[in-house]
Amino acid sequence: MAPKPIKLFYFDARGRAEVCRLLLAAAGQKYEDIRYTQEQWETEKDNTPFKQLPVIEIDGKRFGQTIAIITYLATEFGFRGKTNLEALAIDQAVQLTYDFLNCFVKVWVEKDETKKAEYMKHFKEVEVPKYLGFYEKLLKESGTGYFVGNSLSVADLSCYDFLYGLKSMGVLSTDEYPNIQNLQKKVESNEKIKAYLATRKQTPT
Amino acid sequence: MAPKSMRLIYFDARGKAEISRLVLAAAGQTYEDVRLTKEQWPAEKPNTPFLQLPVLEIDGKRYGQSIAIATYLAREFGFCGKSNIEELQINQAIQLAVDLMNTGSKAFYESDPAKKFPKYFQFFEKLLKESGTGFVVGNSLTLADIVFYDLVFNYISRKVASIEGYPLLQALSKTVESNEKIKAYLAARKPTEF
Repeated sequence: MAPKPIKLFYFDARGRAEVCRLLLAAAGQKYEDIRYTQEQWETEKDNTPFKQLPVIEIDGKRFGQTIAIITYLATEFGFRGKTNLEALAIDQAVQLTYDFLNCFVKVWVEKDETKKAEYMKHFKEVEVPKYLGFYEKLLKESGTGYFVGNSLSVADLSCYDFLYGLKSMGVLSTDEYPNIQNLQKKVESNEKIKAYLATRKQTPT
Repeated sequence: MAPKSMRLIYFDARGKAEISRLVLAAAGQTYEDVRLTKEQWPAEKPNTPFLQLPVLEIDGKRYGQSIAIATYLAREFGFCGKSNIEELQINQAIQLAVDLMNTGSKAFYESDPAKKFPKYFQFFEKLLKESGTGFVVGNSLTLADIVFYDLVFNYISRKVASIEGYPLLQALSKTVESNEKIKAYLAARKPTEF
């Protein structure tokens, strides 16, 4: 049974909330999409479990941690596979994406320009081919066009979203990865996702 | 239905495999506890999903990512809550612990113990206080308790941090250690540096 009211709190960006928004869109689930300005965040910080965003509020109770939230939404709305084993296969791909994301965060937060350029070079030359290689392999092994089983899961959405962000920043291209390209098309042609993407607010990150 | 054969493959250490071993112990589940030497690892590396350990092999198929593996085992054997909301709470706690572990060497080498991990240990204490049952989530052992226990064990055994001033976290450690099956496992567990 779906929970009563859902509120999603984040900044005015895709960032770490967008996979939540994609899941909720794919589920056709209404929710309140709350976007804080920096000023609002300063006062709202203490109303979050761990002084971080995103936060999801379900029936009045607040929870943090991106992976916990997306896993909850995926499980609630049928995007976590049909068996525990499928959930494992999905979770492994999701964790992989967040490992990849954490590699990029290291580049993103570095303030020293020389170090930043060095980290970005390493990211593009070493990490990008490594992780795109893993995605390609998993998709090839699956053979269905999706990471796991033959329907959309949070594994597909989290990979799609992170790669979308990196591509839009000009950090990588998926041209040499046919299975990844196919996945991106599959996600974008999902009816509810397509509608969501067509109207979603454009933000730099 | 539990899988027919399970092999947990890691190095000869607790490391990122230990939470899975603790779940399997708590579940009374037999499995093959494979420990690769440094010499064996290069040859095995290409046989892993992501060139990393731990790997869980279930009926011949291999899976990676330590948290995904531990979560699978916890869900399989009833240590992942009774509802999706409880699983959310469990995952929230686990990811918080993962964030702490990812702060890595910076926090490790901080010389002032009070500065080391107050933020995280305060959050752990807060979650335990909100729960009020002595367990992180619900009123029985879950993967969240095991993750907190293992993290505290590692930090204390390596003298990296202290949980003085965190009474609920201290109590949780004792609760996990006194679980009958875990107690037996810990008594027989091979001591390793990591």
